[in-house]
Amino acid sequence: MFIKKYGDIIVGGFFMILSAGMMIMAKMLPKSTVMDIGPDFMPMCIGVVTFVLAAALVFFNVKNLKMRKAEAETMVKEDLDYKRMLTSFMLILVYVYLLQPVGFIITTILYLPFQMYVLAPDDKKTKKDVIQLTVTSVLFTFVVFFLFRYGFKIILPAGIFTINL
Amino acid sequence: MNALISLGNAYARIFTPGSLLLMAAGVSVGIIFGSIPGLSASMAVALFLPLTFSMSPSMGMNMLVAVYIGGISGGLISAILLNMPGTASSIATCFDGYPMAQKGEAGKALGFGIVFSFLGSVFSFIILTFCAPMLADIALKFTPAENFGISFFALTMVAVLASGSMLKGVLAGMLGLIFSLVGMAPIDGTARFTFGSSSLMAGYDTLPTLIGIFAISEILITAESMGHGQMETIKMKPIKGFGFTWKEFVYQIPNAIRSALIGTGIGILPGIGGSTSGMLAYVTAKNMSKHPEEFGKGCPDGIVATETANNATIGGAMIPLLVLGIPGDGVTAMMLGGFLIHGLSAGPLLFVKNADVVYGIFAACMICVTMMLLIEFFGIKVFVQLLKIPKHILMPLILVLCCVGAYATNNRIFDVQSILLFGLVGYLYHKFRLPTTPFVLCFLIGKMLETYLRRGIMQYKSFGAFFQRPIFDAFFFVAIGVVVWSVYKEYKMYLSKKAVKATEQS
Repeated sequence: MFIKKYGDIIVGGFFMILSAGMMIMAKMLPKSTVMDIGPDFMPMCIGVVTFVLAAALVFFNVKNLKMRKAEAETMVKEDLDYKRMLTSFMLILVYVYLLQPVGFIITTILYLPFQMYVLAPDDKKTKKDVIQLTVTSVLFTFVVFFLFRYGFKIILPAGIFTINL
Repeated sequence: MNALISLGNAYARIFTPGSLLLMAAGVSVGIIFGSIPGLSASMAVALFLPLTFSMSPSMGMNMLVAVYIGGISGGLISAILLNMPGTASSIATCFDGYPMAQKGEAGKALGFGIVFSFLGSVFSFIILTFCAPMLADIALKFTPAENFGISFFALTMVAVLASGSMLKGVLAGMLGLIFSLVGMAPIDGTARFTFGSSSLMAGYDTLPTLIGIFAISEILITAESMGHGQMETIKMKPIKGFGFTWKEFVYQIPNAIRSALIGTGIGILPGIGGSTSGMLAYVTAKNMSKHPEEFGKGCPDGIVATETANNATIGGAMIPLLVLGIPGDGVTAMMLGGFLIHGLSAGPLLFVKNADVVYGIFAACMICVTMMLLIEFFGIKVFVQLLKIPKHILMPLILVLCCVGAYATNNRIFDVQSILLFGLVGYLYHKFRLPTTPFVLCFLIGKMLETYLRRGIMQYKSFGAFFQRPIFDAFFFVAIGVVVWSVYKEYKMYLSKKAVKATEQS
């Protein structure tokens, strides 16, 4: 609801702050001594254009805010599952950061069943399903690992568990 | 006449069971690489390079061509079925392919994609075979100024893409430009916006960015809508043959010809590549269409335009490669490596000294593309089965493949971590109803634009001197025209919307 009413204003505001920050940082970049346009030229250009566009977006939306609010009222409320989304996000976050130190095989075998369980619809969380998920994950992990190791000659992060297969 | 005789000889040489089998294997592996997000056609070619050591030069090059063709065309499968472009070339295939698949028309969408991939390639190969030396001559005259003109032109296409809510669309693109600035500046290598991180010095790689925007955000969006308890399964309409009628095919012909020309044209220009050509063809098709509002909602025209163009790029990109020894994109750069391995030097002399290899490649192109058509045609029914795997199992598996693909690009874990960042960007774009297409287009072109601009200014001393180049002028003024026209159209649309609202209230 909130996003529908104020979404565009938030977007505009965010872009205004971002472009302002970028312009300040671009100012601090060294000027080129040999040519007219140095490394600061493009960031400055993009910064100015973005700022103007973002300001325009905010302006138009503040002007039409009443209309927007009325429109948003009539829309049906979407039923979204933020818990699943956030858990998935956290899982992916942990996965990508552990991939290097712990290694591909262990992280993936652990990550996959958890992620599948989180995503599974509520009626598919019986014991039988969990076993099925785990087996799929283990098989998949090893297939991918060996396919890349021997098929494509790409060595995935080994981590703590160095194996010479 | 000489060309035809040499071509005939080449065909005769290729039609041996051994070389046909090798090419079929190459095409199949290419398709698999192409269809997995994160594994690209250039990686497939890199993988096959060492395998060609022991082969004769002609055979080796034919095999690489087979992998290349399979790799570019395989991207359409995952783009249509999973909304994840398997390669950068098939980004625009997602826009209409995935909505079609959701309507149960996955088979038809694949059919369109495959047939027009084939036709696009054939078109570009005919051009390659008969006009290569002539076209290379023109492309050789291009300076950074012209390349800047083309990049600028491609960038203004964002305005067209964003029609409907232009301000938001263009802003969405600006973020792509901002991300493309991160890393070392072109030419002088000044570190920009790296915040002291050495991983950021090289900037964000294209592939992880695409994977993040398309694949990771898709997983988050799926997670969000899983709470309803029931699983939505897409009902598939059974298909016959390629799934479309002769009438539909005839209707697409003008669109296909236009896209094939765009694709080949872009392919010839060094450094621009299949992703831009596919996108440009898509936007042009949308612009020329009598029903532009259907684009993005599952309109076959979009698939036809993109797939024709990105495959037509192959033939185009081979022209500067063979004639001048200049690679047009990452894959052709790998192919150049292949030439070196076999002691051939790509360039004007290749046509004189190793005419058999050159015509062998021409012949191999045609045969491989036919194989691709057959393999993918018989594969349609198998590919579509992918959609039957429940989403909660399929999505995590894809995520792991994406991570592995991102890692394999440069062998650095930073790329894997950056897909999460772009996944978040894609998810927030979805939440705030910003289109992701402009972001991707701007990200791809941003670096090119700056490099060519600064290189051009170095060469000509001032921007004003660019205008003395007629080709630059043409692109530049057409680009300005496109912007003005889009803004005008947008303004008119705004006025008519306002009028409708006013009548509703009164």
